[in-house]
Formats: sequence, structure tokens, C-alpha cells
Amino acid sequence: MPQQYPVEFEKIVEQLAELKNTSELMMDLAYSSILLNSTELAEEVQRLEEYVDRLHTEFELRVLTSKFTNEESKGFLGLIRLGVAAEKIADSAAQISEVILRGLEPHPILKLVIKEAEETITQVRVTKKSKLANKTLRDAQIPEETGMWVLAIRRGEKCIRPKPEIVIEPGDILIASGYAEGVEDLKKLAAP
Amino acid sequence: MRNLEKIEYQPISVREIVLEMKNLSELMIDLAYSAALFNDKELAEDVIDLEKRIDHLALLLEMHIMIAARDPEDAESLLAVSRIGSAADKISDAAADIAAIVVHDIGVHPIVTKIFENVEERLIRAKVTKDSLIVGKKIHELDLAAKMGVDILAIGRNKEWIINPEEYEIIKEGDTLIVRGSSLGTKRFKETTEKSQNSGVK
Repeated sequence: MPQQYPVEFEKIVEQLAELKNTSELMMDLAYSSILLNSTELAEEVQRLEEYVDRLHTEFELRVLTSKFTNEESKGFLGLIRLGVAAEKIADSAAQISEVILRGLEPHPILKLVIKEAEETITQVRVTKKSKLANKTLRDAQIPEETGMWVLAIRRGEKCIRPKPEIVIEPGDILIASGYAEGVEDLKKLAAP
Repeated sequence: MRNLEKIEYQPISVREIVLEMKNLSELMIDLAYSAALFNDKELAEDVIDLEKRIDHLALLLEMHIMIAARDPEDAESLLAVSRIGSAADKISDAAADIAAIVVHDIGVHPIVTKIFENVEERLIRAKVTKDSLIVGKKIHELDLAAKMGVDILAIGRNKEWIINPEEYEIIKEGDTLIVRGSSLGTKRFKETTEKSQNSGVK
């Protein structure tokens, strides 16, 4: 039987999961920014870093005011430390993206390491009329149609990982990488 | 006091060093979260050992970068390598911090299991049963990434963890597997792995 927890704990769960997801997404985006020498992606990482900082503070406050029992204090310290670790990972991702934002030319070795690819980056906003709207990423078949791979979906302040089951909503911004030829195709698909 | 390993220059390529640092640091995060989720001390200790390996690599990288920079242009372009090396090091530090929660008996509140039901990338632990379809198979034969979208991070066997097992490693009955993947993929993997003769799962 799943154990029942107070309602206040639910938000803690949600926020820590969000911290973990975002910090790992940031790592992917940061390495992509190096691989693709993309200021756009590097800036996205920086934006997420600010978001994580805010979220992390909210999370810590929530944990501290959640009225846990004395017996639970150690376990809650563990939760706080998980949050700190996620924040540190986000910081490291921001550090990687800084390389780009400071105008350093990524050394060729780095690109080899992250897998050399002559790809470009694009961002497109999905309009209501788009065939992609309200489809899952799987059904949208973006790589098949355009040769572009979706790295991230920006929805408001959130950055969502492009899992196949995610439904694309009108207004979403797709961050995608691929050969330059695919950019126009993707734009047509997202904003006809 | 901490016993620090001696360090000396080794002629390996910078590419290999950074590649290993990147791969290891990312693996460590998943292993560390797994250790916290399953409250597994051995696994947590392995993460801390891996952290030592990364520290070693970070020092080697520093030496290589010093030797490689011949002019201001080199220095600028190598700065990026150095920053990324240090970021990977920091990521591995974060993983070690998570592992330390477990090693130092602080533990994580049981709601942590709920948290891991809310993350995109799932981490699961599965025990290989006698009748499992994967017993006796090499990891690469299973083609897990393509078929289920999952990935074996570690195999627990004879009270030890085989971290990031090789492709030719054979899965044995009684193995404990730590697996990462999507929610659906990990669920299917667990069913396949823990299958019993009577369950009727094909």
C-alpha cells in the first residue's frame, strides 16, 4: 500500500522533481550549446539557471516550513541536500554554457567529445494552424519530416524535455538541431 | 586525514580525458540518485570511488592543458576545455554529495520514492529471476536502448556492483539491475526481468 503523506509534502515532491529534471535538461542543452556553438541555447541554459535558483529557494523554504516531525528531520535534511546537489548540477551546466556566452571558440576537441556534427540550431513557435499542434512528439514525426531533432520545448517559463509522449501545444517554442536545410521545413511545419 | 593518491603526468589524449570525465560524471548522477532512492550504501560508496577517479582525471587534464598552450590563441581555446573539465568535475562532486547522504546515514525521507515517480527519467531496480527472458544474454544482444529505451547502469552481483557494465557482460540469475529509462520502458523492462514462469508475460 502506498503510504499517505500530508498535502504540504506534495508540493515538495513536485518541486524537487522539477529541480532534478531541469538540472539534467540544462546539462544536455549546455553541451549542445558547445557542440553547436549556439548562443541561443547557452542563453536558454542561463535562463533556466535563474529559474532553478528561484525554484530552489522556494523548495528549501517549503521544506523548512513543512512541519515535519522530529523523527523526520534527518530525512528532510536528505531532501534539502538532494536539492542542493541538483542546484550544483544546474550551476555546472551554466558554467559550460558560459564558454559560449563569453565568446570563447570551443576547442575542436570539445566538439569531438560531444560528437562532431555540422548542425545548426533553430527556434520556432508552433502556431494554432500548425499540423504539429496538439500532437504528441512521436506522432509529429519531426525528424522524419524535416531532419531536425527537438532538443527542448519551451512552454512559458518551463523547459520541457522532448519525450515522445509529450503533446505539442500552440504557442510552444521548439528548440531543434539539424542540418541547415531542415530549418525552413521545420518553420513551415510549425508556423504555416 | 584524507589519503590522497599520488599524481603524475600520463601521456593520454585530452580527448580521452574529457570524454571519460563527461561520461563518468553523467553516470555518477544517475548512480547517486539510485543510491538515494534505494538507500544502497554499497552503490553510494562506488559513486564516491568514481569521484576519486574524476579528481584524478581533472588533475591530468590540468597538466595537459598547461603543456598544450603555446600562445595566447591556444590559451583562449583551451580555456573552454578547462572550464568544461571543471564543470564535469563539479557535476561529479554533486553526485558524490548525494552519495554522501546515504554513506553518512542521513538518509532521505521516504517521500523520495514519490519524487522519482514524478521525474522524466526513471531509475528502477530489478531482480533477475530464473525464468527471466534475459538470463544468459549478453547486454548488447538485448538491444535495450532501441527496443525499450532503457539502459543498464549497474549490475549487482555477489554483493558488489559492476558499474556501467560492458556490452558483452552476461546477465545472470539473481543479478540486481539498476536501469534508467522512460516510465513505460522501465516498467516493461521490470516485467521482462522479473518474469516468473506462471505470470504468463510473453
